[in-house]
Parts: sequence; structure tokens; C-alpha cells
Amino acid sequence: MKNMNDIPLRAAWLALVLSLAACGSESPATAEAAMAKPEAAHAEGEEKHEGEGEHVELSADQIAAAGLMLAEAGPAQIHETLPLYGTIVPNAERTREVAARFPGAVRGVTKRIGDPVREGETLATIEANESLQTYAVTAPLTGVVTARNTNPGEQTGDKPLFSVADLSTVWVELALFPRDAPKVRVGQRVRVTNPDTKQSAEGEIIYVVPFGRAESQTQTARVLLDNTDRRWAPGLYVTAAVLLDESRVPLAIRSEAVQTLEGRSVVFVQTDDGFAPRPVELGRSDGEHTAVVAGLDAGARYVTTNSFILKAELGKGEAEHGH
Amino acid sequence: MIDALLRLAVARRGIVLLLALAVGAFGAWNYQRLPIDAVPDITNVQVQINTQAPGYSPLEVEQRITYLVEVAIAGLPNLDYTRSLSRYGLSQVTVIFQDGTDIYWARNLINERLQDVKSQLPSGIEPQMGPIATGLGEIFMYTMAAAPDARQPDGSPWDATALRTLQDWVIRPQLRLVPGVTEVNTIGGFEKQFHITPDPARLLAYGLSFDDVVNALERNNANVGAGYIERNGEQYLIRSPGQVADIPAIERVIVAHRGGIPVTVRDVADVAFGKELRTGAATRDGEEVVQGTAVMLLGGNSRTVSAAVAERLAEINKTLPPGVTAETVYDRTTLVDKTIATVQKNLLEGALLVVAVLLLMLGNLRAALLTAAVIPLSMLMLMTGMVETGVSANLMSLGALDFGLIVDGAVIIVENCILRLAERQHHTGRLLRLDERLQTVFAATREVFTPSLVSVLVVVLVNLPILALTGVEGKMFRPMAETVIMALLAAVVLSLTFVPAAVALFLRGRIEEKDNVVVRNAKRIYAPVLDLALRLRFVFLGGAVLLVVLCGWLATRMGAEFIPSLDEGDIAVQALRIPGTSLTQSLEMQFQIERALAGVPEVKTYFSRVGTAEVATDPMPPNISDGYVMIKDRKDWPDPDKPKAQLLAEIQEKLERLPGNAYEISQPIELRFNELISGVRSDLGIKVYGDDLGQLLKTGNAIAEVLNTVTGAEGVKVEQVAGLPVLSVEPDRAALYRYGLNVADVQDVLAAATGGEEAGLVYEGDARFPLVVRLPEHLRGDLAALERLPVPLPSVDRGYVPLGELAALKLAPGPNQISRENGKRRLVVSSNVRGRDLASFVAEARGKIEQQVKLPPGYWLDYSGTFEQLQSATQRLTLLVPVTLAMIFGLLMLTFGSARDAALVFSGVPLALTGGVIGLWLRGIPLSITAGVGFITLSGVAVLTGVVMVAAIRDRIAQGVDIDAAIREGALLRLRPILMVALVAALGFLPMALNTGTGAEVQRPLATVVIGGIVSATLLTLLVLPGLYRMAWRPVNQTTDTAQESVA
Repeated sequence: MKNMNDIPLRAAWLALVLSLAACGSESPATAEAAMAKPEAAHAEGEEKHEGEGEHVELSADQIAAAGLMLAEAGPAQIHETLPLYGTIVPNAERTREVAARFPGAVRGVTKRIGDPVREGETLATIEANESLQTYAVTAPLTGVVTARNTNPGEQTGDKPLFSVADLSTVWVELALFPRDAPKVRVGQRVRVTNPDTKQSAEGEIIYVVPFGRAESQTQTARVLLDNTDRRWAPGLYVTAAVLLDESRVPLAIRSEAVQTLEGRSVVFVQTDDGFAPRPVELGRSDGEHTAVVAGLDAGARYVTTNSFILKAELGKGEAEHGH
Repeated sequence: MIDALLRLAVARRGIVLLLALAVGAFGAWNYQRLPIDAVPDITNVQVQINTQAPGYSPLEVEQRITYLVEVAIAGLPNLDYTRSLSRYGLSQVTVIFQDGTDIYWARNLINERLQDVKSQLPSGIEPQMGPIATGLGEIFMYTMAAAPDARQPDGSPWDATALRTLQDWVIRPQLRLVPGVTEVNTIGGFEKQFHITPDPARLLAYGLSFDDVVNALERNNANVGAGYIERNGEQYLIRSPGQVADIPAIERVIVAHRGGIPVTVRDVADVAFGKELRTGAATRDGEEVVQGTAVMLLGGNSRTVSAAVAERLAEINKTLPPGVTAETVYDRTTLVDKTIATVQKNLLEGALLVVAVLLLMLGNLRAALLTAAVIPLSMLMLMTGMVETGVSANLMSLGALDFGLIVDGAVIIVENCILRLAERQHHTGRLLRLDERLQTVFAATREVFTPSLVSVLVVVLVNLPILALTGVEGKMFRPMAETVIMALLAAVVLSLTFVPAAVALFLRGRIEEKDNVVVRNAKRIYAPVLDLALRLRFVFLGGAVLLVVLCGWLATRMGAEFIPSLDEGDIAVQALRIPGTSLTQSLEMQFQIERALAGVPEVKTYFSRVGTAEVATDPMPPNISDGYVMIKDRKDWPDPDKPKAQLLAEIQEKLERLPGNAYEISQPIELRFNELISGVRSDLGIKVYGDDLGQLLKTGNAIAEVLNTVTGAEGVKVEQVAGLPVLSVEPDRAALYRYGLNVADVQDVLAAATGGEEAGLVYEGDARFPLVVRLPEHLRGDLAALERLPVPLPSVDRGYVPLGELAALKLAPGPNQISRENGKRRLVVSSNVRGRDLASFVAEARGKIEQQVKLPPGYWLDYSGTFEQLQSATQRLTLLVPVTLAMIFGLLMLTFGSARDAALVFSGVPLALTGGVIGLWLRGIPLSITAGVGFITLSGVAVLTGVVMVAAIRDRIAQGVDIDAAIREGALLRLRPILMVALVAALGFLPMALNTGTGAEVQRPLATVVIGGIVSATLLTLLVLPGLYRMAWRPVNQTTDTAQESVA
């Protein structure tokens, strides 16, 4: 009897083994073990994100291998600047148009364009038409002859004969766009740079034109620049950086240390056995240093170079390769 | 018909032998054409459509490219589904066709549709189809390096740009010509570009814009043909060369006139060789390199193609400038050779063992050799079959071949022929005449042909459910079943024709009738044991049943493996960093990893690809790198016996010490397959479809929350869609109004400044290098400088306004990538399942999600994942396994004409399986599909021995012998063939079970099952079957009719 009853049983058993063998059992496959790994890491990462206690543990050799650099938070000098474009123009207060006092014939011209002149030096002699006396036209200030509109034998008209400019100082006219205008005040120091030669000099804002220009929506700020060595030729375009603020802040960090984590700025601070992200409130920055308003104590050791690696370590569970 | 065939074979034996030789020769020729690879190709029929859109962000790529391409593709015949990916600068639409679709036909259709869509795409954007290759395609990789003292002709050292230029214009064009190579992909280094970097301040000074510079370059860089003139009977062609050739020529291009003075490019910009905005880079052992990958055309023979590439590369190396070398880092030939060596070694050793067994048991050299001749002949016939059916030779397809099994049919025939020939010689007392011999051979073959045919048919039948597997499992295991079936069919044909012909031709001398020592001793031992087994038949049967139950229980306790992993020797380490990691940072972190592994003595070299290569076959973002850790030959290891798992663990430990990286460790081919197939790889994937990315993410998170409450959920993960840092420059329309500018004016300036604008090409021979106008590097990276970027005003002479006045610059995370499937945005929530069966988990998760997650209108869910495959496989198998079993039973019924005998033979199957289960358990190998194939083979062997034994007993009973005597005589008479069949089948697999070479891990479970099973099957056939037979056929007066009915 037995042999007969167990035929369906055997068939069922064979079916079981075959199906087990052919499709694997219902328990998950070990082939996926490798896949499960980063997911597990992800789960941990998630947990870390929940609490405040997120933390990266690293040993000394790991720090070295990852190329992390450390620095100590402390006071720093912060220069906040505003870059602008401008044009060199002659100092309008130091240019003179020289005209003939009495109309007459020009008898002699002693200065040519570009000649330096001292105040009182004769530029030309003119024979007055009415008195037929000759008189000298002299330079009203020490400078350079920048224009000569007359030659011997000509009649003087209404037009000026010479322009004399004192180029020992020049003006830089900076275009102030609406957003920048409120930041710029008379008295601020400005570093002016020639974009071609990279030469630079420092000047000061002496005037901000109160009128705006309709077509370019700009105001003009004027910088007085020393030009005794004649490097700044009027007409040239230059770049300028207005020093908005220069102050020593009690607590600052290097700007490369700042990372963004979940929408907040954080700095990775060294703890006993690793690093922890500290949310910080940041103040002014000049690109190199950033002032810390809150969130960090002076003397804290924080990660500068490669701080991104720590951010990556915290978030690595989220890394995946989707198609 | 069989009779006629047998008669013909015996009568025309010479011709049959010649025919067999011819078929063998045909097989040998076909072997040359057989695609050989290490592992089966599991890639689906897919076409990638890549569209490069430099500068486009994911959202723009999706809106302006991906969507249009998807719409164009929709509705193609044989289309399975489409999925797409929109990422920075790249749109990739992958079109998956149903299995069996002709790829060239599919590509033609796609090409047609793409032509239509081109007019709708933004200008200059061209969709391209990826190379015609599969996951096995990346067969050869090399890296380029220069000796530190090597110098370029102009005296500068070979930098990444120079090496890349060599790769692009010297190596790649030559390698592409190698037959079988469809693409040579490049990653790493910098494409050489001429960079014109205008200084915004200087442009302002001259009142010029970026566009002026671009236009000037475009108008001063062309050769023109101007027809011809005839002069004094000669024809002169006219051309006007005007192309710029080098940096000084570019610098002299005039941009504008100011006050009568020409302003040249040099006055407003610096000109130099620059670096492209690249999407990927390559590294090797902690250094940046240029890497090339040869991709094999679909269906190629990876061994030949990669050997040809290697040869060509060696030739190219000779022509490279001194100090520069292209070094092979990955060559598929190595793996294929190793795998083939393993398979060959197994097959050869198996064959030798089989011959030895035959010799020992038959005691006749000629008989042993002619039986063994079936092995190469059936093998060669198999080659023909494989070429014809398009099955490639690899570890899986050849892995389940057992020569023992193949010769089983022949063994039984030859054994019986010898027996009958010897009997007849003994009977007549002289050497047989030719006609007598032929007659005997025919009769002897005919006598045992049915059992041998039945056994083969049984194996063929049990393989059928495997043929019904689909998807990845199907691609892996169908070839295995196909080759086994083909080889067996070949063996059947041979044992019908070649074997009797050869026996008739060669077994002519005096034939030893007496059993040799081995068989005599075996019989001496078997006889008393058989008597005991017959007497205590209920005890033996009870024991057997108990064993079956025990093993059934054991099988449920064993671990299971869905698909075995094929050891490729080398390791692939995919390092993943958080989305948004820059390429430079990612490279730096990759260097750290590579330096860390450089200290591992087993590691030969470690090279990686970071980001996307030139041909975006694998669109990786820059935060991910595919690393290949090449392992030395075992003999070069400090400890050659170190297990691979230990090495892996060591490597993993080193990797884990480096902060900032997550890793997925796999193997080179496996990695590529994963990338290409790339469906949902976890147990359960819930796809959320809809339009709004934010809503998708919200729903996804809600689903993840619900999933986490279902017991058994592990590693619940929501696909990352956000997280790419984006600098949005949002034009302020009020400000634009004030200045009278258009949005495009702002965007153009920005695009030209940061992305760069192409202004033509510079030609050097075949090579061509783009002229790119963009901001100097120090300004591009500086947000403050970007805000200052002057936008020229149309109305005011030389007027400008800084970008910051016109647009708000916002740094905010944006979408990292946008995935779509079947034309809709999609987000996947995936989960694995631990400690619980998948089906109930999915059901519970479904129920909970339907209850708790509210989907807005226009959003829907789709459940997929491994569970889907498992479900479909289970469905198919629950239908097919019983059908198969019924068919086997029917076959046995046909053979014996008795349900009872059929059932008796059938009883051997579960008994055989017990040995297989015990074998696996003893060696600690989990259940897997390969083990399943072993069980299948096993049932064939079990049926074979059972049929041989039952047939012999029935013959005796038919001759009128008393049942007890018939059982005893029959069992003793068939001891020799049963032992032989069992021994050859078991020994044929022995090398496979013991081998540790590359690829052995796939064959090991199979071989273990067969060997264990054969031991148990043989023992049980010899000991339990006679007793069972006695019970089933007890003298008529004691038989209960009802019981018989129930069997029938």
C-alpha cells in the first residue's frame, strides 16, 4: 500500500526540489548581498541625520590619507571690497583752457603739444589787433600742453588756443549701478588696476555724482588718483575695487572650510575621536576669510582643505548610481 | 523505423563510420565560427539613444530632448518598454525590445523615427544611437602614459591633453578598423582646444562683446574654393586658404576698428591651449591617465576580437612617439582563456576517467575506445548545433556537460553487445561469421536500445522547464539546457548509428565472456547483500522513505542563491560619492583610493573611469567612478592559497578606511551587465509615476515610511532625484525692461562666458580642434566676478550693465537627474526583504500603501523588482514541472506498458535526489539553479539505471522464471551496466567537483549534486528497487486490485 500512496508524494517532492532549484528559494538571494551593503550604510546615514550627534570618526592616518588640513578659529582681518569698472579722465579742476585775452595775430608759439610747462611760462606771443602791442599768453598752472589750436600767423578767434592739464593727479570715474550705489561713500579707499599691465594704485573717492544717467542707469563716483609718474593716461579703462570695510573680527574661519549641509552652513570641528559638523552663522567675508557670528568657539580646530570629504562621508549613503 | 535504421547502420557500417567522420569534421569547422566568451550574455535587446546637449541642465534636457525622442520612439513594433535619463548635458533614452528582436532591424526603425524628430530638436543637437554591443562588449582596455623624461616635439612634457590627442587621432582610428570592434571609447585627459579668453574689462574698453569675438573668428577662418580658370590651355583651380593654423594666427585676427586702429584678438583676449569642460576622467594607480576601451560588436567572438585588438595595439605602440606607451590593462582573452582552460581540463579529465572506467569494467580496449569515441563525436556535433542555434560557448552553456552522461546510452549498448557476442561465441564455440556477428550486434542493440533512449528522453524532458525560464535567468540557463539536450540528442543518434556500426566493424576477435576481477568481486559482494535486501525489504524501504523525508527537510534548511556569481578573477569597485561632487574632487578622492590599494600585494593595477566617457554608453555623473582592480596571477601572490573572499575582505577594509566614499563591489562584466540591464535590482521596487518632481518625492517618502512599518523590510531607499547644486541665474524682467534688454541677451552672454562658445575649428591634418571663446578660468569660478560680467547695452554706445543688475544668482540644489519610464517621470522606492517570504511581504506592503498613501490625480504606482521574476518563474514552473513529470511517467508507461513498473522506475528519482542534497549539504554549497540542473541530470541517470534493472527482471519473468529468481538474476545480470553507467556519470563530473580554476564555482554545485546523487541512486537502485519490485509484483493471489487501480 505504501508504495502506491507515496507516488503523488514523490511527485510533489520532486516538483518541490525542481522548483526550489530552478528558481531559488523564496528567501532573498546572496547575489544581492553586495547590493544590500550601501543600502545598509544609507540606513545608518539616515539615522545620523536625525539627531544632532552626527559625527565622522577618523583616525590620524585616515586624516592624512584623506588630505584633511586643520586650522584654529581666531581673529582675522577682513577686507570687504566692491569691484567696479571705470575710466581715467583728467582731473577737471586741474585743466585750463588758455585763450587770447585780446584778439590779434599770433606772432610766435613756444610750446608744442605734450610739452611740460610751468605756471607763468610763456606759451605764445600775440600782437593785439587794437593796440598792436605784443603780449605773452602764459600757462595758468604747471602741467602739460594737451591741445594747441593755433599756429604763428593765425588770427586768434573765440576759441581757446591751448589746453594745459596738470596730470599729476587724475580722476577715475566709476560707474555705479543701482545695487552698488548705496555702498559707496566719499572717503572710501579704492584700488585701481590696469587690466593690461596689472599695475595698480590706490586712491580715494572724492565725490559721488548725485544724478543718475537715464540710458545706463548709473551714477558716477569719482576717485582722485596720484599720477606723478604718468602711468594713468586719461581715456583708459580700468578696474577698481572699493574697500567697503576693513576690520578685525574676533572670530573668523577660512572660507574653504564652509560646507552646506541640509541648507545650513556648517564647519567641521575636530572632536576627541573625529569630526562633527557645527552649524554656524556667518558674517562678512572677503573670499579668503569669513567672520563667524555664532556657532563656533575661538580656538576650535576645524577642517579647511578637503572639508568636502567629510560632507561626502556623512552623506555617502545617499550616493547611488541610478539609470 | 528504428529497426530499419539499426539494420542499415550495421549493414553499411563503413559508410556510417565515414559519415560520422564527416559530421565530426563539419563540427570542427563550425567550432572556428562558434562565439566563445567566459559568461553568457544576459543583456536584453536594447538600443541606447544618446544626445549630447552641452550646457543643458537636467530639466532643459528632459523638456527639449528626452521628451521628443521618447515620443518619437513610442509605438515601435516589438517594443518592450523605454526608460530615459536626463542629466547635465546628456539625454539617454534606452529602448528595450522584446527578446528575440533583430537588433539591426530595431536600429533601422529607430533611425527612421529619429530622422523625423530631428527638426523639432534644438539646432545643433543630434541624437545618436549607442554602439551595437552588449554587456560583454567592453573586451579590451588600455591606458596611455608617458615616461617622465619624454618630451613632445616642441619640448614640453606629454600632458593629459597631448596624450588624449594621440589617442583621438592616432590610436583610436586604427583600433576602430579591427574587425569585430564597433567602437573605441575614450575617457580621460583633455580634448585639445584653442581657448580664447577675453577679459571683460578689456572688451568693455573697446566696446566689444563676446559675440564680436566669436564672429570675428568665424569670419577669419575658412578656406574657399572659387572654381577654376583656363589659361594657355591649362586649367587652374582657384582656392583661397584662410584657415588659422596656430596661436599667433588666431591672435592676429581683427575684431574691430577703433579710431582707425584695428583691434585684434590679442588686444582683448588671451589665446592658449585650454581644457575642455569634460564630463569624465580616467585614473590609474593614483595618477590621471587617458583610457581607451574597445567595444566588441554584438555577437562577436570576444577571444579573437580582443586578441586582434591586442595585436594591433602592439603594432601601434611601435609607432608612438618615444617614451609614450599604450599599455593593456584589461584583456578579455585572459579570462576567456582561463575559463576555457577550466572547462577543457574538466572535460578532458572527465573523458579520461570515463575511458578508464570503461576499460576496467568491459575489459576490452577496443570496446572502451569505441565507446569513448562517442565523446568527441557528440561534442563536435554539439558545436554544429550551437552555431546553428546561436548558442555561444561559455562557462554556463558548456558547464553542465558530462561525458559520462553522454556515453551512458552507448555504454549500455556496447556492454550488451559484448555480452551477447561473447555468449554466442561461447554457444557456437568458435569465432562468429560475419552475418552472425552483424545479427548479434543488431539484436543486442535493439534489446537495450529502449532503456537507453528512455533515459535520454527523460533527461531531455526534465530540462524543458529550464527552457521556459525568461529574463536574466533564462538567458543564463537556457543555453545550459539547450547544450545538454543537443549533446544528448547527438549521443542518441550516434548510439543508433555509429556505435552499432563500430561494434560490428571492430569487435571481431575473440571476446572475453568472463567477468573481469572488478565485476566478479562486485558481484560476489552484491549477491549476499541483495539477498538481505530482498529479505528485509520493508526495512530497506522504510529507511529509504525516511532518508527522502530527512533530505526534504534538509533542503528547506539550506541557503539558496538565485544566480551563481561567476568569478572573473578581477574586481570592480564602484565608488560613489554624494551627488554634486565635482569631477576634480571626485578624482582627488579616487586617487586616494587607488593609492590605498597600491599597497595590496595581490593587486596588479587599479584603474578607474570617473564620470562619463566620450561615447556615453554608461552615463555616470562625475561623483561616481567605475574602478577595476586587476588581480595578479595566483602564483605571484605572497600566499597563493589565500581565498579570494579573504582578499576581497582585505580590500574592502582598506577602502572603508577612506572617508567620503560608498562602494559597490562586483566584477567587471557583472558591473557592465548591471549597468545595462539596470532594472530594479532589489526585491521590491515601487515606481511612482507622475509629473511634478516635488510631488513624486513626497509620495516616495510617504511610501518609504509605510514600507518601513512592514516587517521584513530592509534598506528601504528612495531614489535620489534632487541634490545637484545648481547656480540659477534668474533674469529680473523689471531690470531688463529698464535697460531695454531681452532675456536671451543675458543668457547668451552667460552661456558664452561660462560654457564657452565654439567659434570654428583648427585643422592639423586629419585632426581638428575646436576654437572656444569663454571667460578666463579664474573668473568663471568666481561668483562675484560673474555678477560683474558686463552685458552690452544695445542703445548706448559702449554701454554695459553688470549681470548682477539684471539677474539674481541663486545657489540652490536642483534636480540631479530625471528618470522616466514609458514616457512619464518616475521615482523608485526600493526595498529588500529579509527573514520573510517575498510574496506575503509584497501583498502586505501593497495593502498598506493602498490604504495609507494618497496619490494625487495623474499619479500612479507600479510594483516591480525581483519578486516579479520570482512570480513569473514560479507560475511557469508550477505549470511545467507537473506536466514534465506526467510526461516522464507517460514515457515510462509506454516503455513498460505497465503503470506499476513505471512507478517503480520513477521511485528511483526521489531516492537519487537525496544523495544530491546530502552532497551539497556536506560541502556547504547553497541550492542554486546550477544545482537544480544537477538534480535534473540526476533524475535522468536514476531513471536509466531503474529502467535497465526493471527491463532485465521483466525479461526473466516473461521467460517464465519465478519472480524471486527473476529479480535476483536480473539484478545480478545488470550489475555491470548499472555500475558502469553510474561510475562514468559520476567520474565524468569528478574533475568539475574538485577544480578550483576560474569559472569552477559555477560547475561545482552541479557536479557535487550529480556525484552525491549517483552514489545514492545506484545504491538505492541496487538495494531498494529489487525489494520494491518484489512488493509490487507479489504473487497474484496476494495482490490487492484496488491498489493497482490507484496507481494506474
